[in-house]
This record gives sequence, C-alpha cells and structure tokens, in this order.
Amino acid sequence: MTEFTDLFSAPLTFNWTLSYRCNFSCRHCYSREEAAEELSTADIFRMVDTLAEKQVPFINFGGGEPLVRDDLFEVASYATGKGLNVSMNSNGWLLDLAAAKKLKAAGFKSVGISIDSADAALHDDFRCMPGAFERAVGALDALRSVGLRTTMSAVISRINYKHFRDILDLARQHGVAQVYLHNFKCSGRGFKNREELDLSPAEWKAFYIEALAVQNSTTDINISFDDPVIASLPGYAENPLVKGSSCGKLSLHLKPNGDITPCGFIPLVVGNLLHDDFDTVWQTSPILVRMRNKEAKGKCGDCGSFESCLGGCTARAFATTGDFNEPDPHCWK
Amino acid sequence: MTILKKNPAIIWRVERQREAEAKQALAAGDDPGERGTVLLIESGTMHQLNLIGGTIWQLLDGTRSLADIVAELAAEYDAPNTELVADVEAFTTDLLQRGWLLHD
Repeated sequence: MTEFTDLFSAPLTFNWTLSYRCNFSCRHCYSREEAAEELSTADIFRMVDTLAEKQVPFINFGGGEPLVRDDLFEVASYATGKGLNVSMNSNGWLLDLAAAKKLKAAGFKSVGISIDSADAALHDDFRCMPGAFERAVGALDALRSVGLRTTMSAVISRINYKHFRDILDLARQHGVAQVYLHNFKCSGRGFKNREELDLSPAEWKAFYIEALAVQNSTTDINISFDDPVIASLPGYAENPLVKGSSCGKLSLHLKPNGDITPCGFIPLVVGNLLHDDFDTVWQTSPILVRMRNKEAKGKCGDCGSFESCLGGCTARAFATTGDFNEPDPHCWK
Repeated sequence: MTILKKNPAIIWRVERQREAEAKQALAAGDDPGERGTVLLIESGTMHQLNLIGGTIWQLLDGTRSLADIVAELAAEYDAPNTELVADVEAFTTDLLQRGWLLHD
C-alpha cells in the first residue's frame, strides 16, 4: 500500500455541477442521465461561504451546462467577491457577446469551451447538435473580445485522437491560452458508448507518446492532460504535488444538491457541503481515505510503475470493476 | 530600504496544520524538513514553500523592509543573524527572478 501522508488542509479546486440540465445531448456525457435537486441561490451562497472559509482557491463550474442557471453570474460575482478564483466549462451555445460581457463583469478568471473536433460536422454530430461548432467558436471569439482568458477542452475518443493537432491549431486561431485533452471516462453515456468511443490501451499509449512529444515541443499554447496513467511515460512531468489521481487529494466535486463526490465521474457521495462538517468529511471520509491509500491489485502488484501512477485513474477502475484498487482499464502495461 | 510585495497574480494559501507541525518539530530540536507550509499557484503550476520560506513569504506584505523581516525571523527562530540575512536575500532574489515578488 502506498500511504498518502501529505493531505492538504482543503482541496485546491471544487468542480461544481450547478445543474445537470443541458441543452445538448452528447454521446460521451458523464452526467446527461443524472438528476439532482437544484439549490436556491441563497444556499449556493452558503456553500461559497464555506469554500471561502476553507480557503479553497478555485471553483470551476461545469455541468450540465452552467449557463442554463439564470443566477450563474450572480453566484460567480458573489464567489469572486469572497476571493475565490472562478472558471467554468461550457458548450458555448448560449455564450454570445452579451453573455461574455456578463461573465467578465462577474469576475470569471477563465472560461473553457468544449470542442471535440476541428471538423465542424464531426463536432456537431458528436454533440448531437447542428450548429454547435459555429456557436462554440463564436463563444471563444466573444470571450476573447471582452478580454477573458479562454481554454478549450476536447475529450479524446475514437473520433479525434488521430487529429488532435488540428484541435491545437483551431485553438491558436482563436487565441486560446490552454487546451485540455481530456482522457475518456467510462461514466454515464461514456460507459454505455465506450465500445464505440474509447481507445484500446495500445492506442492510448501511442496517443500519449505522440501528444507528450507535441506538448514538450510547444511553446505558444499550454497543453494539459489530467491522466495519471501516463506517469510512466518519458516526458511526463505534470502535477508534482500528488501521485495518481488528484481526485480526493487536490480536488472534489459538488453535485447540484450540495452532495460532495470525489470527482464528477465517481458516483459515491462522501458528504454534503450544506449539512456536514467539511473538515470531517475531507479528513475522515472512508471513501476518500481509501482513494488516497490505494493498494496494488492485479497486474499493478508487480508493476514497477505503480509508485508513479498509483494504478491510474481511480474513476475508470471503479466504473469498470467496482473496485478503486483494480488497474485502470486504459493501462497498456 | 528594500520593500517587496507579492505579485497579486500568485494565488497562495497557508497550510496551518503543516506549519504548526513543522514549528513543533523545530521547537523539539528536530529538522522541520522540506514539507510545504505555504502553497503557491502560479500560472496553473503549484509550488510549496518550506517553513522558513513560507514564513518569509507571509511577511512580504509590501510594508516591511527586508531588515524588518530579518528582525521578525530572529525573534521567532534561533539562528545567527548572518544566516537569516543570507536566507532572506537568497529567497527574495530567487522569487524576484521568478516574478513572484515585485518591488513596491
């Protein structure tokens, strides 16, 4: 067992799903079939107060689509007023120039737009929404015009893994500061459609070797991966604060009803930010403790990379086996 | 008189529990180690400062001179003044070069 001894006083980031409602119906979506009561603005403010008191520096609104909540700007403004650094991820459909100005005024530090392919028709098809690409690119331009830092997110899957350089070029054309090439998660629709969309372990390895080389030779744009399974590859040097999944160590996820889960892809509730003492949840939740102290099972048992990757993505292992300690199904070793 | 302040773009947090544990170790005559007592996030990259670095960082508030900071460290830590001066100069020079500190 690798004992995790360096617990911080609180997470650095809360990934916050304000609503599971969304105007899109994407084929890989982890949350499209989730449902949870949504809280009032007043209750959301109370949760922001707790996060500010615990000195959580970052909150990132996701979804669902954050812009479907009418009080998004009010919530963000309140959070920035409390010293939090606020960002969000959006599909861009509702993000015109007027919305961009309101996001800027609300104090957002950056806004991410999901674009899965530089091929407009492919993106629209994947997102099941004709015109999605045009609106997403328009959102990037609107955000740029008001001076807001933009990021771009693409979930790597069978539709785009051979063309990730085109995604980077698209980002360059629209002044994007950072591109996240997210690993595919086997959650929600991503689980149902994984046979069609997910890569094989050998394909993941080939993709990451190529993408890491591009990352290391690229200076005009930041390229990020958040996938512990790549820790054993040459050229990987991200996230030195913790090994393995950062979920439950550096970050947590909030559901629309205030329930806390380790991440958006692990459907296990460890507490509720409105009703439970946060320090107790953070320090003693049996689920979080188990995630922080993984045991090498299966092929991880005699793998020399376990100390670096800690079994890879805990969410993926849990989704496919029901056990945190099983090897990440993306692992090629 | 040199007065430095933190770059406001740097996001930081004191890890109180770790800081207390490091101070306890020091008081007991043990090595407080390099464990981070202050977390810094700069352009998406996270860094940690050890006990002495974290203490200096907290004192760099744009009002204290470097001499003031050395005096405060001397009151808290049992170390020769020359060593504290060297620590503060090395630390602030490094952080100025990184852009994490600015001249007031």
